[in-house]
Parts: sequence; structure tokens; C-alpha cells
Amino acid sequence: MSNQYSHEKIIQLRKKRSAADRRFKTYGLIATLMGMAILFFLLFTIFSKGYSSFQKSVIELEVSYDQETLKITSDSTYEEQVKAKFFRVKKNAIAKALPDLSKKDIKLIKKMFSINVDKEIKEYFLNNPNILNTTQKIFVTAHSDVDQLLKGNARRNIEEKKRKLNDRQLEFFDEFVSSGRLKTKFNNFFFKNADSRHPELAGIAGSFVGSLFTLMTVFLLAFPIGIGASIYLEEFAPKNKFTELIEVNIANLAAVPSIVFGLLGLGILLNVFGFPRSTPLVGGTVLALMTLPTIIIACRASLKAVPPSIKEGALAMGASKMQAVFHHQVPLALPGTLTGTIIGLAQALGETAPLIMIGMIAFIPNIPTGFTEPSAALPVQIYLWVESSERGFQEKTAAAIMMILIFLFLMNALAVFLRSKFERKW
Amino acid sequence: MKNIKISSKNVNVHYGAKQALHSVSLNINENEVTSLIGPSGCGKSTFLRCINRMNDLIDICKVDGSITVDNEEIISDEVDVVSLRSKIGMVFQKPNPFPKSIFDNVAYGPTIHGIAESKTDLEEIVHSSLKRAGLLKEVKDRLHEPGTSLSGGQQQRLCIARAIAVNPDIILMDEPCSALDPIATAIIEELIDELKANYTIVIVTHSMQQAARVSQRTGFFHLGELIETGDTQKIFTNPDNEKTQGYITGRFG
Repeated sequence: MSNQYSHEKIIQLRKKRSAADRRFKTYGLIATLMGMAILFFLLFTIFSKGYSSFQKSVIELEVSYDQETLKITSDSTYEEQVKAKFFRVKKNAIAKALPDLSKKDIKLIKKMFSINVDKEIKEYFLNNPNILNTTQKIFVTAHSDVDQLLKGNARRNIEEKKRKLNDRQLEFFDEFVSSGRLKTKFNNFFFKNADSRHPELAGIAGSFVGSLFTLMTVFLLAFPIGIGASIYLEEFAPKNKFTELIEVNIANLAAVPSIVFGLLGLGILLNVFGFPRSTPLVGGTVLALMTLPTIIIACRASLKAVPPSIKEGALAMGASKMQAVFHHQVPLALPGTLTGTIIGLAQALGETAPLIMIGMIAFIPNIPTGFTEPSAALPVQIYLWVESSERGFQEKTAAAIMMILIFLFLMNALAVFLRSKFERKW
Repeated sequence: MKNIKISSKNVNVHYGAKQALHSVSLNINENEVTSLIGPSGCGKSTFLRCINRMNDLIDICKVDGSITVDNEEIISDEVDVVSLRSKIGMVFQKPNPFPKSIFDNVAYGPTIHGIAESKTDLEEIVHSSLKRAGLLKEVKDRLHEPGTSLSGGQQQRLCIARAIAVNPDIILMDEPCSALDPIATAIIEELIDELKANYTIVIVTHSMQQAARVSQRTGFFHLGELIETGDTQKIFTNPDNEKTQGYITGRFG
């Protein structure tokens, strides 16, 4: 009967074991759901704060392009037209923005328009030069304070002193709204402008292009050096104490805080070698140093994962060592290497601290056109905007985060695509 | 009397401090199949890998003594192993086709050694190699499919085709059938029998029946020593040494 007894024991224990299984499954499910909830909350917050940044407020103005005020004639050349007195046209238009404005009112209402309005009036004219001596209804960009109020980001039912717009300006605001002359439209400035002191004009293009140049520098420096170093270390280097030391130090380097690389860039690249400050070249070089260990570790791991039988087969065919490596091992290690590289680049894209160290935090109102021009980068732009006290920059911050996330998603999608393209099964 | 193709004298192999081969002296005749048998770990594969210097890949492995191929010493730092290996093909225990197309697998050797003068030349070499390996009929319509899509036996014949594509004198086979089923094994054994007309073949095998079926001469290894060598028929019917007798009758190994 001892058999019977032990079987019962097994059944009893089995119940406990399956209960443990179920418990573990539940824990896993809870963990996954929590992770998803947090991620969803994060994305939702960013999106709900940032989406309004893709819209800007515009106010309709009646602009009279009369030739006396502009001091040009219909025979004027393009150069003369460019130099025409558009600011006077603007002044007149704003003064007549609403009927019966006192001098004080005009001063107040002027503050409700962006400083970019002259330019917009000018551009409109240069695109349609035959409108000389006519009056045109044009939508021009509103000041950020108006914009924030219209979008509901700023509150109006608080004390006048704490508001950006005073009571009189609110009256104007309401008049514009009720007559349909104040509305929102697609914010092209956000995508085509660089940074600006004025929130309604600030855009992401400068830092986006800066990040692009920086990442290109990182890739061009870190990828070839990383691949070369890993192939040498994995396949050609003698195995001795010295190479062991190098290996350990590469692993250590991967764990060095990024700000240390920034200090290195400041101390060596800027001060000793005299690289141009705040440029994608320096930023990229510093980030390449930071990314190198990641690439080397990923590339060596994927070289190690290539079955040795492939290398043996090639060598037994009489392939030279280099042929065995480059014809067989490198192609097989490529998907893993590319994935590692893109992870390294994604990491570099999000790095802020080293860029602050080498001066990429400077206020750059231009879109860079080369590697040696001062420029911002996406993460630093986020840092700059989140620090700004003006309310208008808040939504810009969230929108910039959205852009950096989209950039990252695209890079990861590229990694997945490359991996599946180069992956070979055997 | 057959020509001696490979001759080894007092070959010792050390893996670090451990000696894997003790003074092995063995002659291998041209255009014959010589099989090396013995229990696991006896050093037969180590000896095989000395012939095409594959042991160089193992850092801790030290080979001394003398091996000559066509009366030329190969255990020397001055020997160019790449051209040596172009003369000596090798087939491994586990089929290891490259993750490339069937065509590219066979074309690899001729390409790197610059044997083919033109594209048609290369195609000719690939076709004739596949034909000699008895694989052409099965794959001629799918030369551009990956070599890894073939069955195990076909993969092994692809590896043989790949080895003979560079027209070597010698083919080394390291337990070529141990991962294959009996039918695939029979096909490979038949192939080995055909190939011996043109090539000198050295085969390491765990199967004594296989050694008896395919080889003309047999060497028996035990604990790193070459115990006995002679005509296959004699080794399997009337060996001189007691240990050989014990192994072939299944008393140990």
C-alpha cells in the first residue's frame, strides 16, 4: 500500500504546483499590464500636452498696401520691393485692427501680435506683387499669450496682475473671437523654424537637423572603428594579458557616465585640439566615443555567435583568414552588429549631458547647414524649452519629445528591417 | 606496390600539457581509402587534422614530428597552409554548407583560388563537381536555393562537391556519416568508393562496418597511439595486436 500512499502525495503536491503556475502567470500578467499602463499614460500625457503645438493662432488683419506708405511704385524692382516700408503698413493695419482704438489701446493691441507680422505682410506682398494699392485681408500670427489663451492653456479668470493679457486686451480678444477673426491653423513654423525667444515662432527644425548631423558624425566615426576593432579583437588579436585588459576596459567604458565623455570633449577636443564649440562635429565625436563600446560589444557578440563550423569549412577550403572572416563571419554577424549600432545611435540621440558640456546648449536661432556650424540637438532643445518660463514653451517641450520619440521609433524600425533583411537561416 | 601519398613519422601532438598523440608513424597510399578507427578520444581526428594543419586553429595545440605529402614536409612554419589546404579537401562530421546558395557553395573554392577563368568555366566546374558528388540530378533545378535547405545527406554530399571543386589530391573525412541515416550513409559510402579512383581518401569513422566496407587499409588508434595498421581485411579478420582484436570484437570501445 505504500505505492498508493506516495501517489496520493504526488497528486496533492501537484495541486500546489499547478497553483504556483497559475500564480506566476497572474504576476506576469499584472506586470505586463502595469508596464503598458505606465507607457500609455506617458504617451498620453506627452501627446495631450504637445499636440496643440502643431496649431498656431492667427488674427485677420486688413492690410492696405498703398504705394505712398510703402514708398515704392509699380515699376519698382524686386530689390526695392524687399526694402519697402512694410513696418509702416503693419502699424497702420494694427491701429485699425478694431474700430475706435485709442492711442493706449493701440499699444496694447500691438502686443497681441507676433513680431513676425512685418515679415508675413512682406512675404504676402512679394508673392503677389500686383496687389499694390489694394487692401488685403491676411491672417497673421498672433502673440504666444493670445495663442495660449485661445488654446485654453492659459486661464483668464484669475487676477489681472497674474495674467499676461490685461482686461482691455481680453476685450479685444473676445471681439476677435466673436467676429471669427481669431482662429487656429496648422503651425508650419514649428517644423521649419529653428529656436526663437518667441514661443509662437520657435521651431524644431534647427535642433532636428543638428541631431541629424550629430548622429551622422557618430555613425561615420563609431561604425567603422567599432567594426574594425571588434573583428581584430575577435579574430586576429593574440589572446594574452594585454588583449584581456583591453576587453575588460571596453566593458568598463560602456558603463562610464556620459557626462564624463562630455568633460573629455570639453577638455581635449575643445581646449587642446581647438574644435569649433557647439557644433555637431564635436557633439558627434564625443557621442561616438560613448557609443563605441556598445557597438564593439554587440559586434563581438554576434561574431562569437557565428557557428565555428562555418569558419572551419571556409579555412579547410583554403580560404585565407581574412577571406574566412569577411566572406562568412562578417555577413552572418551583420544583423546583430547593425542592431547594436542602431541601439547605440538611439542612445546617442537621447544624450543631453555631454552636449551641454561641449556647448551645444547655446541659443542657436539658425538651422545648421554643416558639421562645423553651431547647432542645437533635440534633447538639448527639450532641456532649453522646459527651462523657459514662458508658458508657450510648455507645449513645445512636449511636442519636441514627440519628435524625438518618432525619431527613435523610426530608427528602431530601421533596425528591425535591416535585421530581417540580412538575417540568413541555416 | 602503391605510391605513398602521405607519410607521417613520430608525430606527437600536445594540447597544453596533455599529450594527445604519441609518436604516430603511418603511411597512406595514393588512390586508396584509409580508415582510422578507435574508441572516442583516441586521437584519430587529431591525426586527421594534422594533415591539413587544421590544428593550427587551436592555440594550445602543438604538433611536432614529420608529415610529408608528396615527399614535401608540411609540419613547418614555412609551409603555406592556404595552398596546402587547396590540395587537401576536408569533409566534417556535421554537414557545414555555407549559408549561401548551392551554386555559391561549390563555386566558393574555385573563386577564391582563381581556378575558373570565366563564368562558363565556373558553371562547368560546379556542375561537374556536383555530378561527381552524385548530387547534380537532385539539385540541378534549384542551384540558387540555399544549401541549407537540403537534407542532411544531401548537405554532406554538397560539402564533398565543394571539397572536390578545387580539384584536390587528398580528401580528409572526419566521421562524415555520423549525423546521417543509413540510406544517406550508403549513398556516401558508394560515393567514397567511386572517388578513390581520383583521390586519396583518409576517413575517420566510428563504425567498424563502415571501415570494413569502404577502406583498403585501416589504422587502429588507442589512447593516442597507433596500435596497428594494415590491410583492412587483415585488421578485421586476423589482427596482430590483442587490443585491436579486443576492439573489433567489441570487448571495449
